[in-house]
Amino acid sequence: MTVLTPTVRTWVRTSLFWIFAIAVALLIAVAVMVTRGAAGSGGAPLSPTNAGPVGSMAVAEVLRDQGVTVVVAATITDALKALARSDEATLLLHDSGQFLARNQLTEVTAAATHTVLVEPGFTQLRALAPVVKSAGQVSGVLQADCNVPAVVNAGTVTGGGSGYRVDDGTEGFAACLGSGDERVSLVQFAQDGRTMSVVGTVDALSNEHIAANGNAAFALTLLGATDTLVWYQPTTADLHAENAPTVGELTPDWVSSVIALLLLVFVAAAVWRGRRMGPLIIENLPVTVPASETLEGRARLYQQASARLRALDALRIGSLERIARMSGLASTATVDEVVLAAAALTGRDAGMVKDLLVDAIPVSDRDLIRLSDQLLEFERAAAHATRPA
Amino acid sequence: MTISGWFVALLVLGIVPIVVLDDPLALAVWVALVIVVAALDLAMAGSPRMLALSREVAPRMRLGESVPSTLYLTNQGRRNVRAVVRDGWQPSTGATPSRAPVTIPAGERRALTTTLTPFRRGERRAAHVTVRSYGPLRLAARQATLALDGAVQVLPAFHSRKHLPSRLARLRELDGRTSVMIRGQGTEFDSLREYVRGDDVRSIDWRATARKRDVVVRTWRPERDRRIVIIVDSGRTSAARIANETRIDTAFESALLLAALATRAGDRVDLIVYDRRVRGQVRGATGADLLSRMVTVMAPIDPELIEMDWSGVPSLVRSVTNQRSLVVLMTSVDAAGAARGLLTMLPQLTLKHTVLVSSVTDPAVAAATLDRRNREAVYRAASAERARLDASRMAAAIRRVGADVVTATPTDLPPAVADRYLALKAAGRL
Repeated sequence: MTVLTPTVRTWVRTSLFWIFAIAVALLIAVAVMVTRGAAGSGGAPLSPTNAGPVGSMAVAEVLRDQGVTVVVAATITDALKALARSDEATLLLHDSGQFLARNQLTEVTAAATHTVLVEPGFTQLRALAPVVKSAGQVSGVLQADCNVPAVVNAGTVTGGGSGYRVDDGTEGFAACLGSGDERVSLVQFAQDGRTMSVVGTVDALSNEHIAANGNAAFALTLLGATDTLVWYQPTTADLHAENAPTVGELTPDWVSSVIALLLLVFVAAAVWRGRRMGPLIIENLPVTVPASETLEGRARLYQQASARLRALDALRIGSLERIARMSGLASTATVDEVVLAAAALTGRDAGMVKDLLVDAIPVSDRDLIRLSDQLLEFERAAAHATRPA
Repeated sequence: MTISGWFVALLVLGIVPIVVLDDPLALAVWVALVIVVAALDLAMAGSPRMLALSREVAPRMRLGESVPSTLYLTNQGRRNVRAVVRDGWQPSTGATPSRAPVTIPAGERRALTTTLTPFRRGERRAAHVTVRSYGPLRLAARQATLALDGAVQVLPAFHSRKHLPSRLARLRELDGRTSVMIRGQGTEFDSLREYVRGDDVRSIDWRATARKRDVVVRTWRPERDRRIVIIVDSGRTSAARIANETRIDTAFESALLLAALATRAGDRVDLIVYDRRVRGQVRGATGADLLSRMVTVMAPIDPELIEMDWSGVPSLVRSVTNQRSLVVLMTSVDAAGAARGLLTMLPQLTLKHTVLVSSVTDPAVAAATLDRRNREAVYRAASAERARLDASRMAAAIRRVGADVVTATPTDLPPAVADRYLALKAAGRL
């Protein structure tokens, strides 16, 4: 017997190239992952250890060269420890994930002489600067418009990031880098002897834009005012402070095992149902041509062109032919003869019959439908008159 | 190879040890266990490659009937084969069951019967047989597809043969009638018989009466040994489907009924299926052989999407016969544009032969003329009236060049053609 299914050995031999190609592709992917780091090309934004375009390694390194001690804090405990170690310290707080609670925010800012809040969200503003409100996105280049040293040194700053608005009638606030409509990108104010800066220009601090405009001067002046800079970006690790059990702690250990098993079951079921019972069988199918194609096409043409008279005439010719046959006229009989015969047959007025069968011109589709109905009805009457009792 | 639903079920069962033991290792152990058991099961499955196959099926069948196809599987391997077998017939063969379970002990042979109920005419083929052989636990299976050709010729249904007895009865009525009923050019003298009351006195043969000293009348019978040439158009217009039957199928039905009737009446029938080339032909066959050869020729022919070449038809008819004959053209006479070739060719045929053109009409067109529900329906009715007018004009044009036209719905056309033939025969116009 000729076996069409290849044996395992021949299958491996014929698909060796593809097995090899897939293996090479996987190897390359793994190699790239290992060399570039699993985080991918972007990395964490504004991270002082990220050399990518969105990172801020440049600022941190330049500050270190200038003699500023840059401490990278991963948790709130680290940050508090680092702040406690020096008398004058600047805290850069970038909490894009909104991980810190209100009490944590006040606790960590209270320890610093100067706090730089980078792109604070709603919770942070409520806790630390209640009179400052979010005011949407900012883009373009912003001009120096106040006497805050960082802004004066910079001259121009890349504005990409968030904008803020200070409530009317509040005193002691320096609102800088305006982009119109009372929207500013830097708000600085003093609070209990400490300085608080709300900074929206995220792009100006990133590696990608640090060399543009006066960004470098802006960043270095803002962050390098004290000997120590604590660079703190809260993570999920800071959430543990609440002592609340996580979802992982609440579920029993076997749940993840069961989920893994169900995934395997899904794959197995797919293989079970997906394996075909032999190859498809080829069959040439005959062409199928619907017979009424031309009929439908012509009907649509009549309708699109609103050829009412032409359509009605077609119906009339059909009716005339049938009525002529019913009245026993020869097929050569003229239209007038048929009309007279039909009028005599049904006992209707010859003028009206002629109007219906020959003369009336439909001016609207409604007219056409009415006349076609009358034709049908007239034909029925004629048939009734000729039928033997 | 493949796995069965039991394998999946066994895998799902792993939830029990995982939950009860509550150990991360339980998952790995269970999956490994299932895979090992399935691998053992697979190793114990009989090899489908060790099967020797043969198939027995009737070579021809009529459309609408069922025939059994028997597949013999001989297990030449050392292990038993517990398998599901799929006999690979084409879908339109209507093979049931499509999958059948079978157990073949080592060295033995089993038969599997599949019932074929094709729903299309022509040659229906089988290409291969797929065997899925399960292990003793039915967890995993080995699968192989074995090449095994098979074919069954599906002949036209010939539904119109139900009309045959009544038409044959009418044919017999033509036989032996007295001259007053049918005397004409085409009738020929048959025999003499005694006068019975009611016979036409004009058909009394006085010479025979004088010899026999009893009144004797002449009887007549319809002419015999006339030729009928049936030409079926297999071009583009014949592909159109009317009332769920293609035009060519209706033409085949009409041709079969006409041939069955004519061959009983003693006429000779030739069939040619033609578009731009001769797709099939039956010449010089008589009696039962004629019909069987006709259905065999018709079976594989499907219409082609090309224009019918009418100009080749006269020479085709000439090649069949030189004597005067009835030429039946089975085509469609719907629109003037499509039938121009037919009209220009017809005079050449009508010069020498009696020509009958048969065409299918669409019952949907007649129904459409009466449907005037709304705007769309009225325009459609107008279009349908127009189509009928075109068709009747075409019929008139064909009659003007001396040919006869028969048009009817698909179910009515075969008996209508047969009736026209009988009428022509009775009138002696063949």
